[in-house]
Amino acid sequence: MPDAPNQNTQTAMIGIGEYRVGSFPMMTIGLGSCIGLTIYDDNLKIGAMVHIMLPDSAGRKDRPGKYADTAIPLLLKELTALGSKNRSLVAKMAGGACMFEYFGTNLNIGERNSDTVRSLLKQYNIPLLREDVGGKVGRSVTFLPSNGGKVSIRRADGTVGEL
Amino acid sequence: MKLSTVQADAIQELGNIGAAHAATTLSQMLGSSVEMSVPAIKAIDIAELGTYMGEEPAAMVAFELQGEIPHGGFVVFYISRESAIRLTNTMLGLTEMNRTMNEMDESALIEVGNIMVSAFLDATAELLGFVMLPSPPALTVDMAHAAMSSLIAQMGVEIDEVLLFSTELTCEEHKIDSDIIMMPETTTLARIVELMENMMKGI
Repeated sequence: MPDAPNQNTQTAMIGIGEYRVGSFPMMTIGLGSCIGLTIYDDNLKIGAMVHIMLPDSAGRKDRPGKYADTAIPLLLKELTALGSKNRSLVAKMAGGACMFEYFGTNLNIGERNSDTVRSLLKQYNIPLLREDVGGKVGRSVTFLPSNGGKVSIRRADGTVGEL
Repeated sequence: MKLSTVQADAIQELGNIGAAHAATTLSQMLGSSVEMSVPAIKAIDIAELGTYMGEEPAAMVAFELQGEIPHGGFVVFYISRESAIRLTNTMLGLTEMNRTMNEMDESALIEVGNIMVSAFLDATAELLGFVMLPSPPALTVDMAHAAMSSLIAQMGVEIDEVLLFSTELTCEEHKIDSDIIMMPETTTLARIVELMENMMKGI
């Protein structure tokens, strides 16, 4: 069982708008239109994970992990503080689904989330290695920085995959 | 918005009346009795939503509240996947539990959700004199957290906490367990509270 975390390593559950940085296993459960973004440093075997809900903070600062535009600089700052160099960082993301097809005037938040994350990563020169976004499906994501930054995804129908 | 005990009681009463009407329609559709819980009111920080609902598969029929307040929040008919199959089996005269959901199940669930939520909103509108019209229904069968968090994301950039009013409706005979969940947005909530307070003061 190479993927099983050490018995004394707890998996950190990351709720909406929350983030964690370190080498321990991290998990976001039930992503719909939200994004689970991971940024991994292969040199230091550490990483950061955030559960983004919306693309744009519109100037709000109280929950930086909740919005793509505040979450990404924050994760980079936290990783840099732990000794990461920007050039050794790589990103993966999942989520950004559209769970309900009809809601009149509402824009597709999932798609806007993934578009924004993609363009921000580009702006900060962080390569987006893999993504599993869109569709009409919920996803749970596990991130194992100590295991090569492995990202696995489980869907509601029970299918699993790896990014 | 923080609710006082009196306000919470008032909303609980409103939920009670709405859910009683919804329970009656469900009971008629199933041809058996339906029990109803006391409505629960929870103020949930979005970061904690995962402790209330997780990966469990459920069918959710969601309606946006429209009318006097255009994007007033959501009402959701929530039913676990297993109960959903029992419900449609009962309605369609089937018995097989180990099956995937098909279009017929989905139409049936949307229809049940539609009838129940309309009854819920009709009753509350009559009581309050405040019309909340349901949008056309939207169904998803997926992880509860994935669906509910997507609805919350649509409620606006400033939402850090949601108020969730839920009433459990159960049918023992067919082992069906479901919930009606209302998530009013701030303007709607303030309006409901104001109308309920006026009513209790006898205005």
